[in-house]
Amino acid sequence: MRISTSTIYDMGVARITELQTRLAKTQQQLATGRRILTPADDPVAAARVLDVNQELAINTQLSRNRATAVSLLNRVEGTLSSVSDIIENVKELIVRAGNPTLSDHERGFLAVELQGTFDDLLAFANTKDASGDYLFSGYKVTAQSFTATTAGADYNGDRGQRMIQVGPSREIAVSETGETVFRGGGQDLFNTISDLIAVLKSPASSPAQVSALNAGLATANGEINKALDNVLTVRASIGSRLKELDALDSAGRVLDEHYQQTLGGLQDVDYAEAISRLSQDKLTLEASQRSFVSVASLSLFNYLS
Amino acid sequence: MASNNLSIGQSALAAAQAGMATAGHNIANASTPGYSRQVVVQSAAPPQEFGYGYVGRGTEIETVKRIYSDFLGKQVAAAQSSKAELDSYYTQIRQIDNLLADSSAGLSPALQDFFNGVQDVASNPTSTASRQSMLSAGEALAGRFRLLDRRLDEIRQGVNSEITTSVGAITSYAQQLAQLNDAIQRAEGSSHGNPPNDLLDRRDLLIADLSEEIKATVVKQDGGMYNVFIGNGLPLVVGAQAYGLKAGPSQSDPTRVEAYYNGNGVTTAVSEESLAGGRLGGLLGFRATMLDSAQNSLGRIALGLAASFNAQHMLGRDINGYQGTAFFTVGDPLASASAANTSGAQILPRVLDANAMTTSNYSLRYDGSQYVLTRLNDGVTQTFASLPQSVDGVALELVDPGIPPLAGDQFLIRPTAAGASNFAVALKDPARIAASLEGEVGDNRNALLLAKLQGTKSLAQGTATYEGAYGQLVSLIGNKTHESEVTRAAAETTLSEAVKAQQAESGVNLDEEAAKLLLYQQAYQAAGRYMQIANQVFDVLLRLGD
Repeated sequence: MRISTSTIYDMGVARITELQTRLAKTQQQLATGRRILTPADDPVAAARVLDVNQELAINTQLSRNRATAVSLLNRVEGTLSSVSDIIENVKELIVRAGNPTLSDHERGFLAVELQGTFDDLLAFANTKDASGDYLFSGYKVTAQSFTATTAGADYNGDRGQRMIQVGPSREIAVSETGETVFRGGGQDLFNTISDLIAVLKSPASSPAQVSALNAGLATANGEINKALDNVLTVRASIGSRLKELDALDSAGRVLDEHYQQTLGGLQDVDYAEAISRLSQDKLTLEASQRSFVSVASLSLFNYLS
Repeated sequence: MASNNLSIGQSALAAAQAGMATAGHNIANASTPGYSRQVVVQSAAPPQEFGYGYVGRGTEIETVKRIYSDFLGKQVAAAQSSKAELDSYYTQIRQIDNLLADSSAGLSPALQDFFNGVQDVASNPTSTASRQSMLSAGEALAGRFRLLDRRLDEIRQGVNSEITTSVGAITSYAQQLAQLNDAIQRAEGSSHGNPPNDLLDRRDLLIADLSEEIKATVVKQDGGMYNVFIGNGLPLVVGAQAYGLKAGPSQSDPTRVEAYYNGNGVTTAVSEESLAGGRLGGLLGFRATMLDSAQNSLGRIALGLAASFNAQHMLGRDINGYQGTAFFTVGDPLASASAANTSGAQILPRVLDANAMTTSNYSLRYDGSQYVLTRLNDGVTQTFASLPQSVDGVALELVDPGIPPLAGDQFLIRPTAAGASNFAVALKDPARIAASLEGEVGDNRNALLLAKLQGTKSLAQGTATYEGAYGQLVSLIGNKTHESEVTRAAAETTLSEAVKAQQAESGVNLDEEAAKLLLYQQAYQAAGRYMQIANQVFDVLLRLGD
């Protein structure tokens, strides 16, 4: 078959160009560490990378949300732990107040002490979170949760409970309303303490007065026990939520690792394979260049004199 | 006899000279594009009868011809046409592919950041910092939509200017072909039908060049003229007469450059589908199938996001307890009346249900009694007797029912084309974010509902999330780019095989020409020597009288 001189050149150049293009691509893959340089390199994997990246980002955001949830719940739990301590103190005070040897005057001291306890409790009920929002006002976070009255305290919040998304399909409550904590179980803690203060302030000299005192103390004791139960129930629920958040966090970490691995498999270059491809193409290119030069330099004109 | 000997020698010298000149011409044009090697066709001169038999009278040059095969030429032109089409398609789609390639520059990260911002507001609804960062992430997302859309617009501008260039080249080739047709006919006429080889080569090269711009059909006329047709049989060159194409804005969309056919002073629009092959075919095909669809897909995500996010946002209340307002603004659907319409009717399209919208454009035609709506992606048509109507989530009505269309009026409706280009955040004040349902500052319920929209399949008839729809776009462009990469490589192989076959027939081989030079050199030397001998023989006769 005839072959034209320009075909010899064109073929040689085309082959060399093709090999150079391949080398450049492999080199770029090695330099970026990525197998997929544009979606065209692997359209299916490129779309999967987007999906996995989104899952990964959502997972990261959920872990941020969980951190917020843990911090808010810890704040509530810390406050409730102090509230439980206060209620224990009140219980103890009731026992002390039941001592029949106490004089009216001495019970008066207890009443003063209890007034202090009442104020402490009110302060805890009006705790603010890190952003200055009232912790126990429901959604009305700018309203002071409780204001003292003669008969106890008025609740100024609502029944809103803030939820935060902490798992792909899990929202968790990160707040408790003042109503749940301080008026739970049909028992108004502030009212109970106010009543108790009034009982302690009343004189107990006549037998009727003594029996009224004892009855008042017994009522207060019953109510305080209910209030304590209530707070402990709320704390138990918070505790179990914190535990769940911990479990979700571990699951999130596992998922994160899984997504990272998937991403790696989808888009990372296989260095061993790429390097061996690079050296093979390099060898072929060198051979093409050498053979081109030697073939192209052959000419009959070299022998014409 | 002596004079006969000398004339034989002279014919041999002349033939050898012509042979050497032709070999030299071949060598000189070895790398001239479109050049076909030429050979001297030589034959023995008619002999003379002398009673005892015929005595030869030397040699004659019949003609100088080029070695050229019409069949191979056609194959090269066809291969060139499809390679050029795939090349221009690939060059264009590659730009979108690269645009979407960088996972940090695409829409995904901006979308994700925005919804992270929404989640942060849900976690800290009273925090102004969280609200501000959600607004900023919204601005960044809007900026990303507009940036991607602007890049697609730049690609569109590039396509427009390339169409103009290509159409200009086609017209120029047509004129040159017509001139060459004429020149070739004249040259043949003045040379008793001998072929003007180099002019023929130039004409065939022009056909190959034209084929790179558009697929052309060549019909050889009696007398050797080429008649050239493009598209659905549009005559581009008839004998010495050239017709041309002209680029101009589309009648229904002034931002879109289209090809118009210029025949005998009448200019008519040429349908895009009919102009296949070549660079022009590739550009038109890319714009119709990929560019429009990419821009519309992006626009649909913008419209869908705005529609569902705004709807949920408007159900909530802001930090001061006021009812929520639209969070995003978005580009409305576009409708344009053709410049050729006889009435002043205008169509107003509105989004009814973003979930039902497609990524297609639509053409609406009024035929005098009813409207015919064609979905351009798949050609599905619907007819209705009157407006308003709602189709694929879009309501269509007349801007002014008092100005109805007239028969033959046409409108182009592009529901999603401008969605991304005008996407913006409407809210400026972080306090206006409607995170609550009932207006209490600590109420985050609406923010939670807004955050959930990220995972809601609210596009393409409930089959795709925003992110999913974007993923589909990336995958579509990736697949099409990959596909055109592969078919382009195949077309390249076909072309190089066709060129190789043509070159094997018509190309110059320098070694071959060197051998011919040796041959003709020897023939020339032999003829000279022969003439010397003939002269000496004649001298013998002259000296007889001495």
